[in-house]
Amino acid sequence: MNIANLSISEISNLYKNKELKPSEVYKEVFTNASLSESIIHAHLKLFQDEATEASKLSDERYAKGNPLSDIDGIPIAIKDNINLKNHETTCSSKMLSNYVSPYDATVITKLRNNGVVFTGKTNLDEFAMGSSTENSAFGPTKNPWNPEHVPGGSSGGSAAVVSVGSAIASLGSDTGGSIRQPASFCGVVGFKPTYGTVSRYGLVAFASSLDQIGPITNSVEDAKILYNSIKGHDPLDATSIKESTVEIPTDKNAKIGVIKELMEEGISDESKKEVEKTIKLLEENGNKVVEVSLPLTKMALSIYYLIAPAECSANLSRFDGVRYGIREAGATSYEMMENTRAEGFGEEVKKRILLGTYALSAGYYDAYYGQALKARSAITKDFENIFKEVDYLISPTTPTPAFKFGEKTENPLEMYMSDLCTIPANLAGIPAISIPTGLSKEDMPLSIQLMSPARTDSSLLEFSETIEKLLGFNQRTLLLEDMK
Amino acid sequence: MNMVPTIGIETHVELNTNSKMFCKCAVVETENPNESLCPTCLGLPGALPVPNLKAIESITMLALSANCAITKNGMFHRKNYFYPDLPKNYQISQFDLPVGVDGSIEIILNETKEIVEIERVHMEEDTGKSIHKGSGRIDSATSTLLDFNRSGVPLVEIVTKPVIKSSKEAVSYIEELRQLVIDLKISEGKLEKGNLRFDANISVAQEGDNELGVKVEIKNMNSLRSLEKAIDYEIKRQTKLIESNEVIIQETRHWDEDKEVTSSMRSKEGSADYRYFSDPDLPNMILSDEFIDNIKKTIPILPSEKRDKLSETGLSISESNYLSKSEEWIYDLFLKTQKITNDTKSTFNLITGELQGQLRKAGTEELPEWFTSERLSEIIKMINENKISFTSGKEILTNLIKNEIIPTKYAEDNNLIQDNDSDEIAKIVQNVIESNKEVVERIKDGEEKLVGFLVGQIIKSSKGNINPSIAKDLLLKEL
Amino acid sequence: MKKDIDIKSVAKLAAIKLTDADEKKFEKDLNIILEHVDALSKMNIEDEEINIHPLGEKLNLREDVSSEFLTHDEAMSNSPETEDGHFVVPPSLD
Repeated sequence: MNIANLSISEISNLYKNKELKPSEVYKEVFTNASLSESIIHAHLKLFQDEATEASKLSDERYAKGNPLSDIDGIPIAIKDNINLKNHETTCSSKMLSNYVSPYDATVITKLRNNGVVFTGKTNLDEFAMGSSTENSAFGPTKNPWNPEHVPGGSSGGSAAVVSVGSAIASLGSDTGGSIRQPASFCGVVGFKPTYGTVSRYGLVAFASSLDQIGPITNSVEDAKILYNSIKGHDPLDATSIKESTVEIPTDKNAKIGVIKELMEEGISDESKKEVEKTIKLLEENGNKVVEVSLPLTKMALSIYYLIAPAECSANLSRFDGVRYGIREAGATSYEMMENTRAEGFGEEVKKRILLGTYALSAGYYDAYYGQALKARSAITKDFENIFKEVDYLISPTTPTPAFKFGEKTENPLEMYMSDLCTIPANLAGIPAISIPTGLSKEDMPLSIQLMSPARTDSSLLEFSETIEKLLGFNQRTLLLEDMK
Repeated sequence: MNMVPTIGIETHVELNTNSKMFCKCAVVETENPNESLCPTCLGLPGALPVPNLKAIESITMLALSANCAITKNGMFHRKNYFYPDLPKNYQISQFDLPVGVDGSIEIILNETKEIVEIERVHMEEDTGKSIHKGSGRIDSATSTLLDFNRSGVPLVEIVTKPVIKSSKEAVSYIEELRQLVIDLKISEGKLEKGNLRFDANISVAQEGDNELGVKVEIKNMNSLRSLEKAIDYEIKRQTKLIESNEVIIQETRHWDEDKEVTSSMRSKEGSADYRYFSDPDLPNMILSDEFIDNIKKTIPILPSEKRDKLSETGLSISESNYLSKSEEWIYDLFLKTQKITNDTKSTFNLITGELQGQLRKAGTEELPEWFTSERLSEIIKMINENKISFTSGKEILTNLIKNEIIPTKYAEDNNLIQDNDSDEIAKIVQNVIESNKEVVERIKDGEEKLVGFLVGQIIKSSKGNINPSIAKDLLLKEL
Repeated sequence: MKKDIDIKSVAKLAAIKLTDADEKKFEKDLNIILEHVDALSKMNIEDEEINIHPLGEKLNLREDVSSEFLTHDEAMSNSPETEDGHFVVPPSLD
């Protein structure tokens, strides 16, 4: 039995039946980590000693028949832009290379209360800005399916650890596709919930109006279990929404729209084929599938590359060397800050801060940021209108399967294009999930993305389980098998 | 040529909430630095702001009291600038949608009511405190120490339109605003504690000019005295420059308390492009009609309304203004006592003169509970009806502050009731004239100041019960 | 839209010290991106209303209750330099 390939509910049942102990699973995932890390570098920190100790407490709870929840004793890895008390939160930046957080993010508090023992912190593109983890100050993560390929980003580490089995599940954050795109590249499930359903308190902000924490897992069911453990209104986050679930059909009455603009040029044939394959299965299942048009999705990238940098330019101002993080000398406090930020930030982060600063500066605000906000309202309305016609929208998650390292570093737009299909959901605040569908000619994972109206997360997850079953794809990377 | 100054004032008022504007940290008064902090007010990575309801209520109350229109669909903006005492390097503030706009505040200048138009009333969060180490001057400091206890404390900023015409009017405006926030109970309103901090925008133009002159901002005025002096200095400085055809630079100047001059500040490093944009952490803030109505209901009597009430008793505008800015109990005591005595002048004089003076001497600000308007009225009535001398009145007042006495009874028990019977007094006057013949002669020769001596003798031989004015009248008649 | 990025002043506003080579590279990259986003300027969206919250949610305010969070030592624990319980920085000008 390869424990790391089991689902959360399978493991949980084994715990309850006393056929397996949490400490055994933790031992297994740390073994997997020790084998895989030298190749894929998915973790920035492993909490082996601490977690091994804590997992024994979980053993005792199950022994007494008093687990704290269904995810008690499930090894979960955390993206290193989520604060975990008394651990480093580096955001893969030199800026925070020495920063130890004095507090827990709300999602961490929730998971702790459920008996989760964390396995470690995972690698990301610096401050979650990127699509390949190449922007990590501590070196890139490699794709477990083929280390010559990127794992995607920014939550590349979180996707890779689940894919390789050095954690059962993980948390990522998604601003323009940072959960779904790496999940797609690594052949696992990635879910970005409705904006505001999961607290952002303790998530180091990139673009506050787009950021959302979500699960990366082996299966849709696991994603559902983890999402249900972290969601809920948080009084510490003013953008957190009060629970108000909306239900839509999840059976064969569910009507699906294929977004025409995300099946055109710029999307590889391989990616399109996966959507077509899924459509066929859905039609066979009795679902109605129609083509829909969302012309403004063509504008999504432009809107995103004004709103996200503008927000990040202010969000990252606090990294100044005054109260925490690294500090570079300077004759005045301003020079100290200027030098610290020059030294602490990597190139992509600087680029986006400069872009955002420019877009907000006097004389340009209306033309850039102001116009982008209005365009965002327009695209949100378009989604609302389309969802009067269909229940779900389907598209590829990514225009191509995982690309190779160094392939997209010349022109910034090339890299940005890999978020083409994922960005619209962030702009509209709606839930979206990436489900693995098959492998490419190069044996790299392929996937589809499913989107649904705001607050229909539960229905989306339920319907995704159906699709997952219809697809019947459950292949895993053989990286560890090859090594063992 | 005649020069006309135009002044606008921006005032930051520290609100008296329990917790900070965007986090639950207590607003503290402590010498210990960096004691009341959390991830939010320290600007730690991942922390988020959640606004304080009480602060928004206070700001709305002030905006309503200043006759502002309330922005019902408002929002918060980020004001971006790098400075070490600003933890996030942006300040959450309000830009184009402040809580209140287009208001007015009535102020009193000498004996006239004036209106100061208000441009806006909005929320701001305070910064931390910087202590510049080194030679004591900012520009030669060797390092800066930072205390973030004040970081995130809620402020309300009140901005006037450029309508103030003199330093006196500016001072009067601040006094009025201070009283307003005290009466609304939204701030301690203590200038010495920095609860109110003000900057002035001053320009000077030739009389008749349609356009205002070049605007100069003055900072670092810590008291009403320095506000007045700084404005006067700046008006003189700008007038002189215009008269000698020199250019006035649009800039920020620093008031030097010791030298009593304004001097150009080295501009804040970086430029003043604040890149305001709506804070994505804080959704649109809706102030519903119900919310606004509920606040309206809790607004207490305002200083201007107090003045109107006081004026109805016959007090002058400046006397009304004085009482409207006194402690609440003085205002109450005056109105109640005046109602009983129906004598505005002597009630005002006794309360603001003798009573406040005695209390100040005794080092107390409160009256004992037995010190009622009824008892005070007895004293005023006895004095007015010549039953007791003013001196006796003071004595009774002193005792009433210390002990629970009934003034009329006290006057009788202590033999303070004056003898107002002229026949009795006449006899005493005769006696005094008889026994001071030499003095009488000298008075008749023109030494009029000796009259007082004789009056004193009369009172002395009556054991103090004689009304001095009656005694004097009779004496002069006899002479 | 005319693109005349004064990269030096943008960097000054952003408090990031740039080398000459940085300036050239960022100016080029920013121009590429700005050219791409220029498509937005042609959209006819004058009347769109702006909601800060993507779902159009309105702000909830917090009761004015205070509680303690970080101890003094926790607050100072990451500080690059301290003195007498203060954070210390090179001299700052007002």
